[in-house]
Amino acid sequence: MAVDLPDPRVGRPEVGALQRTAGDPVRVVLNWGRRYSLWVFNFGLACCAIEFIAASMARHDFIRLGVIPFAPGPRQADLMVVSGTVTDKMAPAIKRLYEQMPEPKYVISFGACSNTGGPYWDSYCVTKGVDQIIPVDVYVPGCPPRPEALLQGIVALQDKIAAEHLGERYGRRP
Amino acid sequence: MTAPDGAQESLAAALGVEVVATDATGSSCLDVPAASWLPALTHARDVLGLDLLDWLSAVDEPEADPPAVDVVAHLVDTSSPPGRLHRLLLRTRVPAAALSLPSATPLWAGAAWHERETHEMFGVDFTGFRDPVGEPLRPLLLPDGFEGTPLRKSFVLASRAVRPWPGAKEPGESGEGNASPSRRKLLPPGVPDPATWGPRRPEPATNGTPDDEQPDGEQPGDQPDGGRP
Repeated sequence: MAVDLPDPRVGRPEVGALQRTAGDPVRVVLNWGRRYSLWVFNFGLACCAIEFIAASMARHDFIRLGVIPFAPGPRQADLMVVSGTVTDKMAPAIKRLYEQMPEPKYVISFGACSNTGGPYWDSYCVTKGVDQIIPVDVYVPGCPPRPEALLQGIVALQDKIAAEHLGERYGRRP
Repeated sequence: MTAPDGAQESLAAALGVEVVATDATGSSCLDVPAASWLPALTHARDVLGLDLLDWLSAVDEPEADPPAVDVVAHLVDTSSPPGRLHRLLLRTRVPAAALSLPSATPLWAGAAWHERETHEMFGVDFTGFRDPVGEPLRPLLLPDGFEGTPLRKSFVLASRAVRPWPGAKEPGESGEGNASPSRRKLLPPGVPDPATWGPRRPEPATNGTPDDEQPDGEQPGDQPDGGRP
């Protein structure tokens, strides 16, 4: 019954020449552009996904921060928000969809379950934190966190994007 | 929400065995011997008119003599008049030493998922299992390579032994000393026994984590304070 799909990852992750070799002024502009157009892909697994949806609706409205929740799929997304309980059964799917996202990509772990396993810390089937399978940029604590906490996490991620140097993150071309 | 009239007598007469009736929190429950499991299900479906297998699961009974697993099936009559649903719990006891029971999939194809789940969670082997897609009895929900039967009470949650945790893991464990040592004798199912798994709280690594110095000091951040830069 197991379906063997080809591995989507080809070679080591790279970004374009402009991003890689840009001087500081251009880098600031590029980072500024990227931090305010984060196409987000919501990996909703439990009740935290409801809070994510609340954050995307009119009252909290994270589109005003440049987070666009209309990515057709992971291949068009810059940011993945893992919101909910990650089980060992679901973990391969999360890793697979993360690997389908184009570089540079970011992950927000939203809620106690995806941070550490949360109330299911001793369960036989729950992954003890999504950071065991994919790298996480921002952790948002709470069970579930309020939408304001996600907004704060998004702002923290945007600050991180503004300060980063993609050439160093991916290595300069040898 | 009642069993069909005379279900117990009808079953006992048809099977020629003793059928014990109990009241399981408002639902009538009939116990049949494991050898009569399939005839009892067939009789309930064809004679008593309980045509729908609602669910099938199991209960681990390690305290029973001998230790056993109770397999329960919930049957419903879909032609019941409105407001008077006919339903019945059929239960059988399978000794834990030989966990094998005839499969209900020849009667209800939909029993396949329930039996696969009961198989992986309790280790019950359903003989004659017939999947609509022709596959043998196999896990349904657990990830590939999972070992053990997690809903048996003998299944130990290894995370409780190996995972460091800042607070109390079990009741009576909080505070400086052991406030109520008598409670430690009652180990809930799944909790690792300190005698075989070592101390419940593994000593933190000796790299000077702040938890060592001030156990009652700062709480690990679980509050969405949201105001930190």
